Amino acid sequence: PDSVSIKPLSWFAPVLSAMSRGVAGALRPLVQAEVPATPAPPVLDPKWPILNQEWLSGQTARQPLVVSVSLNVPASVHYSHTDIKVPDFSDYRHSEVLDKIKSSRESTTAVGFVSSMSASADVLAMSKIKIKLSDIQEGKNMAFKWRGKPLFVCHRTQKETEQEAALELSQLRDPQHVLDRVKKPEWMILIGVCMHLGCVPIANSGDFGGYYCPCHGSHYDVSGRIRKGPAPLNLEVPTYEFTSDDMVIVG
Amino acid sequence: MKLLTRARSFSRFYSLKVAPKVKATAAPAGARPQPQDLEFTELPNGLVIASLENYAPVSRIGLFIKAGSRYEDSNNLGTTHLLHLASGLTTKGASSFKITHGIEAVGGLLSVTATRENMAYTVECLRGDVDILVEFLLNVTTSPEFRHWEVGDIQPQLKIDKAVAFQNPQTHVIENLHAAAYRNALANSLYCPDYRFGKVTPEELHYFVQNHFTSARMALIGLGVSHPVLKQVAEQFLNMRGGLGLSGAKAKYHGGEIQEQNGDSLVHAALVAESAAAGSAEANAFSVLQHVLGTGPHIKRGSNTTSHLHQVVTKSTHQPFDVSAFNAAAAGDVIKAAYNQVKTIAQGNLSNTDVQTAKNKSLFLAKSRWQQVEIWDIHVLLMSCNVEAHITGKS
Repeated sequence: PDSVSIKPLSWFAPVLSAMSRGVAGALRPLVQAEVPATPAPPVLDPKWPILNQEWLSGQTARQPLVVSVSLNVPASVHYSHTDIKVPDFSDYRHSEVLDKIKSSRESTTAVGFVSSMSASADVLAMSKIKIKLSDIQEGKNMAFKWRGKPLFVCHRTQKETEQEAALELSQLRDPQHVLDRVKKPEWMILIGVCMHLGCVPIANSGDFGGYYCPCHGSHYDVSGRIRKGPAPLNLEVPTYEFTSDDMVIVG
Repeated sequence: MKLLTRARSFSRFYSLKVAPKVKATAAPAGARPQPQDLEFTELPNGLVIASLENYAPVSRIGLFIKAGSRYEDSNNLGTTHLLHLASGLTTKGASSFKITHGIEAVGGLLSVTATRENMAYTVECLRGDVDILVEFLLNVTTSPEFRHWEVGDIQPQLKIDKAVAFQNPQTHVIENLHAAAYRNALANSLYCPDYRFGKVTPEELHYFVQNHFTSARMALIGLGVSHPVLKQVAEQFLNMRGGLGLSGAKAKYHGGEIQEQNGDSLVHAALVAESAAAGSAEANAFSVLQHVLGTGPHIKRGSNTTSHLHQVVTKSTHQPFDVSAFNAAAAGDVIKAAYNQVKTIAQGNLSNTDVQTAKNKSLFLAKSRWQQVEIWDIHVLLMSCNVEAHITGKS
């Protein structure tokens, strides 16, 4: 049976690809390509109506015309090494994604179906916690339940922050500078789960004035960095954001 | 039940079971293959054979014939256009159906590439299938039949081919360029003129083939093919038509101007001057000049700092533009396009580094081992008969 190879190249669009040799019909194409009475030639390059330097670059001819016709490849004309364009596949694409300006991630059906399987709105809402910072006095450490884990929010004094910053990083098991662990130095937000085996450390205790895990004796400092004991890493710092001077959203 | 299930298990993956089993040959462990040199022979009848062993799994063979559109005269304009569209038609040894299916069956490719000077018939296939495709190549080039009903069937394609090619403004520019620059021969368009649609006859095609597809005008070039095989093929099959055939008229350059008005938003222009014939010592100099003026490299969103033309034009306009130097070397005559500021450069205001860079670029392209370019590169060397000078870059 005759097969028509529809290969919409940006160069030689459906009209000529109907004539390009498919397997069975070198002489008799299935669709007799006739030039219409008022010749409106097929648009070669529908992708680029925008006139700008980038599109024009490389378009001028650098070598004489070379015409190439082949048995099973659509015909082409070369005048430069940059004249070979990516074919236009618009015929195969969904109409929703054809608009160049809109992001295709916003409107496709597939994205809609897949995103319905992700977390629902109430679950997403429960994943964040809003904390009012004016409730926490200086030097005090408050614990909140967040995503099933304890969240420590500590309002540190100026003295404490300066003391911490002065420490040599090479002496730490998990070297991390104090300022790398906070966004505002006076607010220390940590997840209160010990990095050893997961107990909840006690605040304002231990040899370094920070946290002390009673299970196996890990001592953390005020910034939550491990100083003594079996834990290998510093206490985890979650992602958070200060929406105003008074409010922080964790998660 | 049992019968059904067995039948079902038999039919599943059926095509996989009956497909011929291909044993992948292990790559020979040992020394890396040495790069080979070009092997070159010229037969007494004038046919030139060249081959290069590049160890690629795909072999490419090209038959380059001096039968481009410059050899048409005013009576038979458009013959070469129809000729290169008629490559798949019936020949004495194989029908069109056989050619199409035979090539598809081995996964090969037969293509015709036409320029103003030359017509090149190229076949590509896996190494083991070379003999099959060479047979088709020889059939198409030496003994086409051009049956009138087949030729009639492809006549409509002339019009469509031309219409689609001319949608690109570069085609307009280059065709007009040649028409303005030359009086004859090279002024002929690659495409059939409008008044000749439907009037190109099989007799004209035959006449053209008889007089231009002769041994002395051919070059048989192979990549990944052994030289003795090519030589044997050429001696046995490609000596049917001897002699030099009809020599085309000498191309006369006279210069001129053509303005084609249309409603496009862009202006395309070419400013041309005559330069040297391909193969002469000056041709290399013009090639260097082309690269000095600016042909690339094309860097997307780059600022084209290496291109003199670009730098100059950027200073004079803020609108989008593109400019490059164009060089077309033809045996006998050459045209080279340059922009307004080329005068400055022609008067020698160029640093040595510029010239050296351009020389290197020109040489790089000449020596490039990139597959697509290889076969043309060899051809250019042969047709210009100036092999040594081109490779060593003496200018």
